[in-house]
Amino acid sequence: MTTNQTLSSSAPGAVAAEAAASTPTRRSGGLDVRGLHKVLGGRTIIDSLDMTVQPGELVSLLGPSGCGKTTTLRMIAGFLAPDAGSIKVGDREVVHLGPEQRPSAMVFQNYALWPHMTVAKNVGFPLKLRKAPKLSKSVIAERVEAALALVNLVHHKDSRPARISGGEQQRTALARALVQEPELLLLDEPLSNLDAKLRVKVREDIREIQQRLGITTLIVTHDQEEAMSMSDRIAVMNQGRIEQFSTPSELYSAPATEFVATFIGSLNRLEGRVEDGRVVGGEGVVGIRPEDVVFVEDTDGGVNGARHSAVDGLAATVERVVPRGHFAELYLRREDAELRAFVTGALPSVGARGYARIEKWLDFADGKLVRQEVAQ
Amino acid sequence: MAQATLESAAAPRESAPAPAEAKPRRSGKAATGLLTTVLALLLALFIIGPLVWLGVRAFADTWTYPHLWPDSWTTHWWQVVFGDKALGVAVQNSLFFAPLTVLVSAVICLPAAYAFARFEFPGRRFFLIGLFAANAFPKMGLFVSLAALFYALNLMNSILGILIVHVLGTIVFMTWIPSAAFAAVPRSLEEAARDAGASKLRVFFSVTLPMALPGILVAAIMSFLASFDEAQGTYLVGAPDYMTMPTQMYSLVLNYPTQVAAVFSILLAIPSVALLLAAHKHIIGGQLAEGFQIK
Amino acid sequence: MALPPIVLIALFIGFPILLALGFSLGFTGGLNHTISVIGQNVHEAQGASPTFGAYGDLFVDRRFLGDLGVTVIVTLVSTTAVVVLATGIGLYLKFRGGVLGKILSGLAVVPLFIPVVIASWAILGFYSADGFLRSVFALAGLEFPVWSFSMVTVIIGSVWTSLPFATLLVTSGLQAVPQAMIDAARDAGASFWRVVTSVVVPMAGVPIIIATTFTAIGILGSFTVPYFTGPNSPNMLGVDMSNYFSAFNQPQQAVVMAFVVFIIASGIAAVYVWANFRSAKESGAV
Repeated sequence: MTTNQTLSSSAPGAVAAEAAASTPTRRSGGLDVRGLHKVLGGRTIIDSLDMTVQPGELVSLLGPSGCGKTTTLRMIAGFLAPDAGSIKVGDREVVHLGPEQRPSAMVFQNYALWPHMTVAKNVGFPLKLRKAPKLSKSVIAERVEAALALVNLVHHKDSRPARISGGEQQRTALARALVQEPELLLLDEPLSNLDAKLRVKVREDIREIQQRLGITTLIVTHDQEEAMSMSDRIAVMNQGRIEQFSTPSELYSAPATEFVATFIGSLNRLEGRVEDGRVVGGEGVVGIRPEDVVFVEDTDGGVNGARHSAVDGLAATVERVVPRGHFAELYLRREDAELRAFVTGALPSVGARGYARIEKWLDFADGKLVRQEVAQ
Repeated sequence: MAQATLESAAAPRESAPAPAEAKPRRSGKAATGLLTTVLALLLALFIIGPLVWLGVRAFADTWTYPHLWPDSWTTHWWQVVFGDKALGVAVQNSLFFAPLTVLVSAVICLPAAYAFARFEFPGRRFFLIGLFAANAFPKMGLFVSLAALFYALNLMNSILGILIVHVLGTIVFMTWIPSAAFAAVPRSLEEAARDAGASKLRVFFSVTLPMALPGILVAAIMSFLASFDEAQGTYLVGAPDYMTMPTQMYSLVLNYPTQVAAVFSILLAIPSVALLLAAHKHIIGGQLAEGFQIK
Repeated sequence: MALPPIVLIALFIGFPILLALGFSLGFTGGLNHTISVIGQNVHEAQGASPTFGAYGDLFVDRRFLGDLGVTVIVTLVSTTAVVVLATGIGLYLKFRGGVLGKILSGLAVVPLFIPVVIASWAILGFYSADGFLRSVFALAGLEFPVWSFSMVTVIIGSVWTSLPFATLLVTSGLQAVPQAMIDAARDAGASFWRVVTSVVVPMAGVPIIIATTFTAIGILGSFTVPYFTGPNSPNMLGVDMSNYFSAFNQPQQAVVMAFVVFIIASGIAAVYVWANFRSAKESGAV
């Protein structure tokens, strides 16, 4: 179920597309969380959290360990009762319902596949439990087949979970959630147990299926790259609160808080402010993205130093060079501060002299963004 | 790998919610609560009732049916027991055989337990199952069969004969439980110690053995109790020359008033209860269960 | 290293069992000589062909057949009760936990530390004619049956003595079922009982089967509990073996009974071995 396959007309892709067409998806409702509050062991884990997810939207809950994102997900799924607050899926209040009665389906971090059931039995189990209307065996088999086709696992339907790879287990767990035709799909760190290569592929697959089915989806992750690449919007959480809830690009270009700015992407964080291209001490915090630091290597041995300073910025020495694949990270020392810069192309060597200029920066006061500034 | 992932699944990454939080909602909570309380009380009566009833009897002078309490109390029966030489000897014998059995059993079985845990050798699984099959033969039948052999080897009415009978009853415990405990010690820890320069023997005594100790302790306790409890074989092989506390119980029950048997019962239960208090944590902790799966 | 216990078992369990098998089939030479001279009603084989005389004696004996039936029934009833109790306690501990759960599981382990002789004696007194239950009912003006020296106390005693071991095995098996597996089932729409029957119990299936087989084998060959608390007749085969050996001086018949019990126990043991292999297979080890 690579994107390849679904785009081309190769056989498995065609089956998957057909399966998607024949799987009648319940019209996905949105998710509306109001005033969610949870105290555990005397500690406030979730602090009056509000969040709205539009129908068909994919939202990531992103944050460091212990920020409360998993607790939030477990409350939305119904495994944990909040102390206060309301959770609406579509127009229905579900906060008093147990997980078995909620219109959401969850993919667990370790997949939680039942080892004593085959892949097909795992996927079919939720359907077997349906009471009104009770589904016949043939209908269940048909729907299981369709769900497995969707994740391209039909050939493994009689295997036990222990016999298939981690990626296949992940897809089984996804099929088990999708077969329920949930109004809301919940994924708890869905990629954390996969190796790096597979992770990229699976996240594309998940995104693709999600868009095809138009299913409202909430993903918990601590991996910003994962969140940035999959989500329509990201809720960055810290200490039980949502710091910022916006699109990936907005989070990056206009982080609402210092926490978001440091958590998403890389940041030179310096005390003080920027005046005339120079960092000067004082109140407040200035944040500079490494790609907004431009380094020009000195080619004439400092002869035209004064002219260079006017155009290329302050004199800087390269202290470390860390190759990062298609770009490199430079650790620069200027007279006013140490700065990290991203450069592509030819790399300067350690000890090289040159000039570094700050193009853009963010001013924070009390941890909040005050303004974004661009050098003249 | 499945095992490892399952384990981490049990502990959520963040602020682990107490298991009580994940309780299924059910209607009629009060009714089920009442029902479980009643069932728990019945279980308590079932388990503890007979012991208390017997315990009270040890201090009873006269007791009229259907009173729930003796009419008068006495310590006379305790004096009878402590004054009876034969009973004292039985106590001594029991306290002699039980620790000796544990020791002999440990010397014989622990190396085997380690071998079963760490080495793959031909017939390994067959032997493990063989150990179990030996347990499936009814004890009484075994002792009847053993009698012929013991007569031939002159082991009847001998200390060695009794010791063999006792050790036979402990082999399964002493092999299986420590074997599982040894197997549970991660090889990487042993390798790390080897890497740090420890000899094989040193690794065993400073890493493997300490980590497997709770399992060995449970095995030792189970063996002690098995030996302490052994009556049929000891009676067949040792009586009347060597009487232990349980075999003495057989004749006590027939020849003395109930109260004397009650007193003796309390004495017989003391070491066991002391062990219970000392080691209940390890036994409940799953060491026992781990040991009873052939791998 | 693995040899000492195996040698010990081969010498003092395997070898006697083989001797006994020979003896039960009428081979009275060698080490079986003494016992066959002392014993009465010993059937001797003609040369190399075995005799099934002792087996024949028993299988036409109504008392033996009755006792065999009693043994099987006591084993079935007691084992069922033990496993149901152990599973119930284990489930309570798993889903409710709390103080009551701890008390329940603690209670169930107490008998492990009480010698069976004492347990039998205590149970006998508790359900006797002047025992606790009859006293309580008599005070309320009701007549309660005397259970002592009946199969009821044998079953009660068997359950009492077997409960700790089964509870320990089953409880830890149930505890080992990951919470995520249960959460996944509930998320799929399963009710509490559905979670228990479709996920928790099957996933703890192997420990439960192991507990069942050990309990059944233990009760099947038990002696002390039926000897102390049971009636003279009918009673379980463990008591009969002892009687035939000591009181009736018919060692061959006693040995035959041992083999009958052994054959039944082997059938149960086969289930145990199968369960172990199945679990190895499920985890992908085989």
